[in-house]
Amino acid sequence: MRIQPFVNAGLRVLALAAAAGAVQFALAHGSKHTRAQLQAFEAAFMEQVRIGDLLFHGDPETEKQLGVSLSQTGMACAMCHPYGSDTHPYEFPKWQEQMGEFATLRDMINWCIEKPNQGTKIDGDSEAMKALEAYIYWSNRGSSLDPGRH
Amino acid sequence: MNDIDRDLRERARVLRRGEQRADAGTRIDRRIFLHRSLWAGAAAGAASFGLFPLLNTIDMAFAQEGQSFRFAWISDTHLLPDDVNTRFVEKTIRAVQEVQAMDPSPDFLIFGGDLAQLGDPVELKLGKGILDELEIKKLFIPGEHDWYLDMGKTWVEMFGASPWKLDHKGVRLIGLDTVGQAPDYWSATNMSPQERMGHMATLDGSVAGAWAGLGDEQLKWLADAVADWPKDAPLVVFSHNPLYEYYPPWNFWVRDWRAVHEILAPFNRVTNLHGHTHQVLYNQFGKVRSIGMLATAWPWPYAPEGVPALTRCMVRANPGDHFDGVGWDKLAFAGEGVENEYVMWRPKEDAVFAQEPHDSGCADNINQRLHARVADRMWPY
Ligand code: HEC
Ligand SMILES: [Fe+2]
Ligand SMILES: [Fe+2]
Repeated sequence: MRIQPFVNAGLRVLALAAAAGAVQFALAHGSKHTRAQLQAFEAAFMEQVRIGDLLFHGDPETEKQLGVSLSQTGMACAMCHPYGSDTHPYEFPKWQEQMGEFATLRDMINWCIEKPNQGTKIDGDSEAMKALEAYIYWSNRGSSLDPGRH
Repeated sequence: MNDIDRDLRERARVLRRGEQRADAGTRIDRRIFLHRSLWAGAAAGAASFGLFPLLNTIDMAFAQEGQSFRFAWISDTHLLPDDVNTRFVEKTIRAVQEVQAMDPSPDFLIFGGDLAQLGDPVELKLGKGILDELEIKKLFIPGEHDWYLDMGKTWVEMFGASPWKLDHKGVRLIGLDTVGQAPDYWSATNMSPQERMGHMATLDGSVAGAWAGLGDEQLKWLADAVADWPKDAPLVVFSHNPLYEYYPPWNFWVRDWRAVHEILAPFNRVTNLHGHTHQVLYNQFGKVRSIGMLATAWPWPYAPEGVPALTRCMVRANPGDHFDGVGWDKLAFAGEGVENEYVMWRPKEDAVFAQEPHDSGCADNINQRLHARVADRMWPY
């Protein structure tokens, strides 16, 4: 699988669009956004979804690039969560029985990295965490919010 | 009407031909046994947890007509080399030891595929070594994880070719190959064997597609294999993938299920036992009863579109306990039909089926909507 360089890819899309003169930047919400801007925002998001998808499916090169090691068992998240199923991002934050504490989605991502995957926990604000979060939310889009549900 | 609607309608039409409702007074327990009255036709019911038509548990009359025997199912061990994952090895060994300890001893073990994770001869050899410890007759059918590194070469050398048929104490046993007939997605792009295997091994991938199926040749073989068999005599069909359409995107189906149904339709006592879905699953199509077997490696979640109405869902697994939600199946054939006992390695032995919706792997997900992945599609998506 070919991986494109992705660091700040979204911002690059914006910059390119601006350089081409196609976009007038709206720096606040005061002025209207152009279609091109909205597309660029979405592209920035989808790039994170794509990276998260690769991490979630255990792509070794993406792990290397982001300096993380999500699994030591040969298992990827997607092996137990196809299409991001049963990750329930729409239920957080909640009391997490397994941890015995009130937890966020990020806490539970890290818990699954450490327990079933025997991997190394990642920083809550890291690129890898944000990408995983993007993929998990994206694949569960349209689910109804139900925070606190067991 | 869009394609999905059309497909769902056709599925409903075919499956509900000659429909009969399940007897409301019956129930499914840890042991699944279906009363003879239920063989008469497919039962339809509401998909919701609460409305599940429960089926009867009847203690098996073992002395019946001298036709009783026990057997065991193990599948989906997904072995990786033992320096990569020791848990999978541990669980395979546990299943084999428990089968060995069955008293009275089972007549045979059926291994239902996905012995290896990436089709590596090292993995297959590891699996063979563990299974060789079991001193009973062993029957094998392949899973996709066993096949797509070398297109089944090592598998067939070690475990023999499928399909096969075998008559045992008045029951015709049939083992199918539902994995080896995937449409070729690898040649045109010059994929390496490892890449081909990688796509096959990704349940929710989009490259390999909905590959499971018997293929024309095997359909002909199947028709021949049952041609001489009396319509009221028992048939047990083993397959890696389920023989109906449950959820094609994860290959929880075979693409030629209509043709399979046509062939099996005249028979009154057919049971299909399948692997691949790694979950407690039950369905009936026509007169065929279909039971999903446990994996030893890990449980899969139920399909996003829901489960067959007749399925009573298993409990949600605890990801902190690698023995939870998995195990093997203890089976018996006694005069009337196949009885299955899920030997799930839970701390609380009796809690295989969820008692409450919030503990159920399917009823819990009422708020969940899921979408296919993107990273393995061609850019831009
Ligand atoms: C061996 C199987 C397995 C693997 C591998 C695995 N998980 Fe899990 N995970 C589970 C199970 C089982 C649950 C519990 C689901 C439930 O409560 O219904 C779970 C729960 C979760 C939850 C919380 C859901 C909830 O409602 O509490 C999140 C988030 C999650 N996993 C993310 C991940 C991520 C990210 C990875 C990869 C780093 C991963 N998992 C790897 C089995 C696994
Ligand atoms: Fe499997
Ligand atoms: Fe499989």
